[in-house]
Amino acid sequence: MIELRNVSKIYPNGTEAVKSVTLHIKPGEFVSLVGRSGTGKTTLVKMLVAEEKPTEGRIILGGWDITRIRTTDIPMLRRQIGVVFQDFKLLPRKTVYENVAFALEVAGYSKKHIEDVVPQILALVGLESKAKEFPDELSGGQQQRVSIARALAHRPKILIADEPTGNLDSINTREIVDLLLKINSFKTTVMLVTHNREVVNSLRKRVIAMEEGHVAYDEEKGRYVL
Amino acid sequence: MLFLSSRRILIFSWQHFWRNIWLSLVTITIIVLTLFSLTTLILVNAIADYAVNSVKDTVDVSLYFDNAVSEEAIKTLKQELDKIEELKEVRYVSPEEALAQFKETHKDDKDIQSALAELDKNPLGGTLILSAHAIEQYPLIIEKLKDLKADQLAEKIDYNDHQKLIERINNFTAKLRTFVLALSLVFILVAILTVFNTIRMGIYIHRTEIGIMRLVGASNWFIRLPFVIEGLLYAVFGCLVFWLFLALALHFTGDWINGFLAGINFDIRAYLNQNILNILGFEFIVVAIINMISAAFAMGKHLKV
Repeated sequence: MIELRNVSKIYPNGTEAVKSVTLHIKPGEFVSLVGRSGTGKTTLVKMLVAEEKPTEGRIILGGWDITRIRTTDIPMLRRQIGVVFQDFKLLPRKTVYENVAFALEVAGYSKKHIEDVVPQILALVGLESKAKEFPDELSGGQQQRVSIARALAHRPKILIADEPTGNLDSINTREIVDLLLKINSFKTTVMLVTHNREVVNSLRKRVIAMEEGHVAYDEEKGRYVL
Repeated sequence: MLFLSSRRILIFSWQHFWRNIWLSLVTITIIVLTLFSLTTLILVNAIADYAVNSVKDTVDVSLYFDNAVSEEAIKTLKQELDKIEELKEVRYVSPEEALAQFKETHKDDKDIQSALAELDKNPLGGTLILSAHAIEQYPLIIEKLKDLKADQLAEKIDYNDHQKLIERINNFTAKLRTFVLALSLVFILVAILTVFNTIRMGIYIHRTEIGIMRLVGASNWFIRLPFVIEGLLYAVFGCLVFWLFLALALHFTGDWINGFLAGINFDIRAYLNQNILNILGFEFIVVAIINMISAAFAMGKHLKV
């Protein structure tokens, strides 16, 4: 599903954020990408969503080589990858329903389709009763679930969660991780980017550790060892 | 899907415009001022051309004959003059017509009227009035008159060239045009910068929304078009507001302006009525292009898609 072949990213100021990374993530896999701050995790995520282009190497997503993707094709790529961030990135003046629907509106879906799909997604993340509330009326965990719901609007094959529990307490963290596992159970490939050791170690899933821009280790049923 | 996207883009554009209404009003005001200077430039050009053409129409060559010269001799000369291709018209005014015109011109002058009443016979002779196709041809016509020895037959050849007057009008209007053009360019530059700044601020205000649009896979044109349409909205409203002001201004001050231009008999209302569609269409196109270029610059610089 996700294949990185000898990918490197060197910024114009000479910083080598990612060095010769080669990875293969299978469809339906749950992978934790771990490492300290500045080890290249976020740069890797940016390259997967074509926010950055690799300096060397190739990136292939679901058979699509996106290494030199055209600007006009980037929106199509981003509809196939759901992304969730630490700071939720919700629209404060839209309700929960409208935040999720927004993802479908910008893609040109009909009102009928949106009315069919959004309630299903909200039910999946357990927020169907909160549809008419605004983000500032929700807890941190609930806001993150809205963010995940929006990321699922296009039924992506890949869901990338970049530090999704960074702003949450331990209870909400657990809920979010359980939700990600639930999504993974529906055969969506999930990449969890985190430096939360407890979460990673409790999952007993594949762990890819980054250190100074390269892969330090890659273990099935791995642990996050600092 | 295209129809739905277009509808949503229009809604987003309107929301951008309406939610920053004070900024929108400032932008519209600048556009109104730009249109004011453009319209002034158009009117100055029209009035100048009208004034010059009015003066040109009065330019002619008149041959005055003594009353001893027979009408037959004058008409023979007229037949020769009719062959000159530079002449548009050769008009014969008989002594009787000349006297009638003279009396009409000086009807309020009692001294002249009483002097004429005491005369036994008509002191005026016939006149030939020559009009050229183009004002530049008169010097050549004068030369041809000399070749035909018309200057020996006529008592006086009067060339009302008004050339100096035409030059003065042209000089004055050229300076006025330059001034108004410079003013228009300043306003156009200000309009470009204002629209650029307004769109830039709109991009900044909506940066969160734009970021999320990019995140969830909105197409580039879906993100860009609302700002282009917002620029067009400024053009539309700017034009509507200006045209309303213009209509009101003409309603209340049209007579005063026409009185001011009475010397050249230029009717500003009639001119605008005849050319209203061309002027409005031209102005709207200019303003729309300015706005879309400004919006494109702002997006190119500040909108990363």
